[in-house]
Amino acid sequence: MLNAQVSNTNTTVDDLFARFGEHVFELQPTPDNTPTLWLDRAKLVEVLSHLKPEFPMLLDLFGIDERLREHRHPASSDFTVVYHLLNFSRCEEIRLKVGVAMGDLCVPTTVGVYPNANWYEREAWDMFGVEFSGHPNLRRILLPPTWVGHALRKDHPARATEMEPFSLDDEKQAREMEALTFRPEDWGMQRATEDAEYMFLNLGPNHPSVHGVFRIALQLDGEVVVDSVPDIGYHHRGAEKMGERQSWHSYIPYTDRIDYLGGVMNNMAYVMSVETLAGIKVPDRARVIRIMMAELFRISSHLVFYGTFAQDVGQMSPVFYMFADRERLFGIVEAITGGRMHPAWFRIGGVAQDLPKGWEKLMRDFIDSMPARLDHYQKMAMDNSILKQRTVGIGTYNTQEALDWGVTGPNLRATGMDWDLRRDRPYGGYEQFDFEVPVASNGDSYDRAVVRVEEIRQSLRIIRQCLDNMPEGPYKSEHRLTTPPPKENTLQDIETLIHHFLNVSWGPAIPAGEASVPIEATKGINSYHLVSDGGTTSYRTRIRTPSFPHLQQIPLISRGLMIPDLIAIIASIDFVMADVDR
Amino acid sequence: MMESLFYIAAVVALSATILALTRANAAHALIYLIVSLLAVAVLFFLLGAPFAAALEILIYAGAIMVLFVFVIMMLNLGEAGEESERKGLHPRNWIIPGIMTALLFMELVYALEQVPALTSGVAVSPKEVGIMLFGPYVLAVELASMLLMAGLVGAYHLGRRFNVRNVGSN
Amino acid sequence: MSDLGSMYFGLFLLLATIGGAAVLTWFERRLLGIWQDRYGPNRLGPFGIGQVAADMIKLLTKDDWVPPFSDRVVFIFAPTTIVVAMMLGFAVVPFGPDLYVIDLNIGLLFFLGMTSLAVYSVLLAALASNNKYALLGGLRSAAQMISYEVFMGLSLMGVVMLTGSFSMRAIVEAQADLWNFIPQFLGLFTFMIAGIAESHRLPFDLPEAEHELTAGFHTEYGGMKFAMFMLGEYLGLILISCMIVALFFGGWLGPFLPPFVWFCLKTFVVICFFILLRAAIPRPRYDQLMTWGWKYMLPLTLLNVILTGGIALAMKA
Repeated sequence: MLNAQVSNTNTTVDDLFARFGEHVFELQPTPDNTPTLWLDRAKLVEVLSHLKPEFPMLLDLFGIDERLREHRHPASSDFTVVYHLLNFSRCEEIRLKVGVAMGDLCVPTTVGVYPNANWYEREAWDMFGVEFSGHPNLRRILLPPTWVGHALRKDHPARATEMEPFSLDDEKQAREMEALTFRPEDWGMQRATEDAEYMFLNLGPNHPSVHGVFRIALQLDGEVVVDSVPDIGYHHRGAEKMGERQSWHSYIPYTDRIDYLGGVMNNMAYVMSVETLAGIKVPDRARVIRIMMAELFRISSHLVFYGTFAQDVGQMSPVFYMFADRERLFGIVEAITGGRMHPAWFRIGGVAQDLPKGWEKLMRDFIDSMPARLDHYQKMAMDNSILKQRTVGIGTYNTQEALDWGVTGPNLRATGMDWDLRRDRPYGGYEQFDFEVPVASNGDSYDRAVVRVEEIRQSLRIIRQCLDNMPEGPYKSEHRLTTPPPKENTLQDIETLIHHFLNVSWGPAIPAGEASVPIEATKGINSYHLVSDGGTTSYRTRIRTPSFPHLQQIPLISRGLMIPDLIAIIASIDFVMADVDR
Repeated sequence: MMESLFYIAAVVALSATILALTRANAAHALIYLIVSLLAVAVLFFLLGAPFAAALEILIYAGAIMVLFVFVIMMLNLGEAGEESERKGLHPRNWIIPGIMTALLFMELVYALEQVPALTSGVAVSPKEVGIMLFGPYVLAVELASMLLMAGLVGAYHLGRRFNVRNVGSN
Repeated sequence: MSDLGSMYFGLFLLLATIGGAAVLTWFERRLLGIWQDRYGPNRLGPFGIGQVAADMIKLLTKDDWVPPFSDRVVFIFAPTTIVVAMMLGFAVVPFGPDLYVIDLNIGLLFFLGMTSLAVYSVLLAALASNNKYALLGGLRSAAQMISYEVFMGLSLMGVVMLTGSFSMRAIVEAQADLWNFIPQFLGLFTFMIAGIAESHRLPFDLPEAEHELTAGFHTEYGGMKFAMFMLGEYLGLILISCMIVALFFGGWLGPFLPPFVWFCLKTFVVICFFILLRAAIPRPRYDQLMTWGWKYMLPLTLLNVILTGGIALAMKA
């Protein structure tokens, strides 16, 4: 399986070598076997355009500050911009890297090739100060416009204690207030045409239906949305920067809080990347436990979606039923992990504890009761004619648009794209499970809900298989980098004691390298691109979240609709702002 | 008792109308107009025409004025609108309408002197109004309804054209 | 009933309806709680009934804030309109053969007039708030009210034809043999929908539409002024329920129990039905609501008028 994959990717690389000449590229070996090619920025747009038909999706685009890195690739310069592409038919990825030197931080924009590069490039500019020449709107995106410096550079302080104490004098306050003034022109909107004067409505950052702190500036003609501009960053906590300070182990709780409805699903993406870097093989029992818990959280997340979706089109009751179910589900999570929404329960090399006595009964009761309840909800919410009127044909996009805008997960499957990482490139043991990938056809708000509702049933099916076939054995790996290390022999021999002491106090030192393992998270593809410099902390933690690109395409699908439609679209996209802003 | 009620309502109606005319803020003017209509409805009621009073409230105060408020909300006049309105209310602009109104008022006083009683003082029930409307006055009713129908069709036509142009410009 | 008697009854009614509206806020939350798998307010007093008092204390002691950018006088005046209009509407409701404030020969029209005046509360609040969400709510409200008032009035014409009078008492008495909801089921259906739209409760709470317009027309309101809107809404709910009972379900008519008790029982059932609707149905979009009103409900009411008139004529002949 693994070999086949490598030979396959080689054909892509060979093809590139044949097309552009081998001297153009430099191949960088990575522990995750994703072909990683360095190239000059002059060739970038040409190569991406060539790759686009085969790799229709720009999965991620981000920067790396290489200046303090010891194990850096010879082709690298002060900063690196990474382009991560995804192919669907063969399920392979490719990374392109462009190095730029301090003083000449400029890369040509790729918005013309991949439209969703727009926000990613803004983010790279915001965080690293890399300019993208030709970008239509290169403004800060996550940090406020008045911010000084570029936060993810190695010379930017990570904590308030590294800076002067904060103070707000009159001048600064005036400056900040000035920056908050809304001028439609700055957002690329017209104030009026000959016929009509537009009204500008500030939807959010505090609004009941934007699911967190998300702001959309709306240009309205009556109640019709002429244009909308999403504004994000209100929930930015610098999760990527924190990754550079926390040990590999102690970063796990931070991941829970990225997609805060996804719980251990986030741990999964993170620990799998670390394990790939460290070369840890996880024992079977731990793998099945992980899948079971991850699917449990998929159900939890989808239940929240289901309830809030119905609520946002004005149906009052469903959300209470679904939260009651979620409450029972959290009861199980609590019995197994001790935590509820954010258990931080996965560990590098396994999980935190073995399953408690009697977990089977709890789990079985839950999955036995759910199908009937889902049938009930189907009748109450999904079959309701007013709900259908409100959502069918609203916020439609086709598969091509979805790919162009980096849409993944249920939102992609709602357009008819029959593709799921769990089935098409199984990770973490999913190949052993029997489940279907629900697909809808119209790509509208209703279909996005339909896919999620069916996914709940499929997740129940996967959990049942976990329950029936839970393997015996250890719940974490014997590997020396497994964290926390085994403690049984620490009081018997000094070597184990030292190892335990170092590994617990400093954390494991992960071998140098780069790896990312994309997983099918609750809302789409989630991955942690981790760069290790051989130390006890990550050198760069890049979190690819599904919600970020999903929000970017809201203007595209909401033009010409009304405010209530926009609310239905927002509800159907299913995002959490922590997942967007990180 | 009834008489004093009548005069109170009449004073309210008159002063509300005057206030409605002299307000620079369109919303305030409308509120006074609504009050004036309500006062007139009370007058009708006291004069023994409860059906007319109910219609005054239902149709004029309840529906037509709502449309007026709707339009004001749509226009979103604000400070600038108030300013121009204030200019319009300059005393100079009042001279000619004032003279005309005075003439009409004198005619009305003269007519009132000549005719002893304008109302019979007998309450008219809705049933009688209905019988009159669909009996002797059926032609007038039909003509009025045709006029309204024409207005409706015209409004629909105008609105449609406006919409088409809007779609075209997008 | 003597003048003095009807005055006492009016005072009693004033207190009873306001008290009823206050208790209804608690009752609705408990009922919704039962339907939605949760408790609702259950801490204060028996069954949580003390919640009513607690809410009132909270609302009364809140800062009575008027936004500086608002049209101050209108802003304060707006919430009172709905309460006054709805209270006046109760004057023509016949709670029993001799239990009413006034029996007007235009009783039904008076009720319609009062509900149509209640709209001003929403419109003026929206206009005075000087807030964009409120403005959108106000616009929706104006369009919705005008559209739904048209067939609200028309839907009752069938009842009037059967009775031959606008007097509420005459309408109830005419139902001694057959309650109106059987011959006038179309009228009942349309009036009920118009009634929910008029009292702008979910599913027709578009002027408020929390998920779209935060709180719509009362976005800027808080404390006692907000409480007035709530009171108005619940008074409207009770009033519409009373009217449905009087017009379609035989008002006070019923065996064994005293008339007033019958009336209250029936009204209670109708109120529960309205709360159930609120719990069950999503909110249609604004243009869908308009389409519904003009394209389906209005022709339906006209059909009802024609049918009723035709049948009444045929019966007479």
